[in-house]
Amino acid sequence: MAAPFARVCQPLWRKITTAILSKGVRNVSSTRQQWAKLNVKTAGAASPWALHGAVCLQRLPVVSQDRSPIEEDFMELMRQIEFEKSLLADHEVKVLEDTARMSRKQDEDYDSDEEDDYRNKKIVTAQDLEDVWEQNLKQFQPAPRLQGDGETDMSSLERCLADSLVLLVQKDVGSQKIWLLPQIEWQTGETLRQTAERALASLPGADLKATFLGNAPCGFYKYKYPKDVQKEGLVGAKVFFFKAVMSSQKHLPLEKNTFAWVKKDELQEFLKPEYLKQVRRFIMTL
Amino acid sequence: MAGFVCRAVNRIISSQSSCCSPVIAVRHSHWFTSMLSLKTSAPLRAEPRKKKKKVDPRQEILVKDRLKKRLKRMEKVSPELIPIEDFITSAKSFDDTRTRALPEVCFEESERRALLLKEWSRHKHKQHQMEMQEIQEALKAQKQALMQLKLESKELYIAALRPDTDTLPFLHHGPSYTPPIADYEAPEGKYNDITRVYTQ
Repeated sequence: MAAPFARVCQPLWRKITTAILSKGVRNVSSTRQQWAKLNVKTAGAASPWALHGAVCLQRLPVVSQDRSPIEEDFMELMRQIEFEKSLLADHEVKVLEDTARMSRKQDEDYDSDEEDDYRNKKIVTAQDLEDVWEQNLKQFQPAPRLQGDGETDMSSLERCLADSLVLLVQKDVGSQKIWLLPQIEWQTGETLRQTAERALASLPGADLKATFLGNAPCGFYKYKYPKDVQKEGLVGAKVFFFKAVMSSQKHLPLEKNTFAWVKKDELQEFLKPEYLKQVRRFIMTL
Repeated sequence: MAGFVCRAVNRIISSQSSCCSPVIAVRHSHWFTSMLSLKTSAPLRAEPRKKKKKVDPRQEILVKDRLKKRLKRMEKVSPELIPIEDFITSAKSFDDTRTRALPEVCFEESERRALLLKEWSRHKHKQHQMEMQEIQEALKAQKQALMQLKLESKELYIAALRPDTDTLPFLHHGPSYTPPIADYEAPEGKYNDITRVYTQ
């Protein structure tokens, strides 16, 4: 009885162990894959979307914005209230004393011995000091705030100094030329942020020093290729945007019609409506 | 024997010395006194020794302990606190001679001010709401992007979630009133530093 029973059990036991071993082997191999190359897509169903990395490069404002009318009124009000609540400063006290002394000097019965301090005749009055300070101020010429307000040159960085500008690039897509944020196709073996950095570096003649803000994308946009371009199961592309901030003010020696520095309000003249809807969400004008 | 030695050494010394004064008056060291005086040795000529009192070491130890206690007491006293200059109102603020002589605010002016303040609070509230909305919109866009990335590939998603150490500390010089002048050389400014430095 025992012998046939043993014979039945053996194949079962073998089946179980082989099943366990094979599962274990599979697990080990997948983790090794993970450790070896972090950025390889998992071998599963190949997604029909091509990945692109794009960069949203912003030149932050250089000059403070002009005040709106209510802000002007409020600033005036605050100045007035502060002035009313304040006490006389040392300088103002000196000015009053000097004027009093001058009026006393003009009197007919002026006796210089009555003055408290007549040590030296040459006393620098507070008014003289004020004049000297004003002269020193006039020697300094600050750069004008509004530089080239009526300029329509979209490619210069000195455009709207009070607003933050975004870099746009014109690219040939199919038969059309469309404006979009600089983007480039993702290659295996790099993170999407590296793709965005490559997109920035690949701009012709670019010498831009930008600081990327974080590893995570700030927005995405997906579009389908037209039917004739769709190939090998690639339905379309997904673009992931990364934010970057210009760290150096260097002039781009790029051709005028291929790129533009644009404010948020002017974006609608350049970008397609669907693209614009997605891009507007993360471009901040705070 | 000792006298003979003394005389011999004296002669040697006198011959070595440059001056030719008589040997008797010269005394180069205390070991060799004049020949005419009594023959004494240094230990014999010394001051009579004081009698050693056995209580002395104990007293010395007591004195030392007292000094140590005084030092400890002085150290225990907490150090004087450094005054915070911002919290001290200077005497000039209480000077009555410095008040301004301004006319009182009339009724219309005070009304105008009150209405302007209300207008301002409304404006600021609207501004704040708009800013918060913008921030919320940007955060939503980021969340969506991360979700889509997760759908695409796990590894890229994990790489995106990793914290970035290069961005922080983030330094950016904010907007000024006038734009910077290219190739501007600021003049060297002389200044007298009158900050008060306190030591505890």
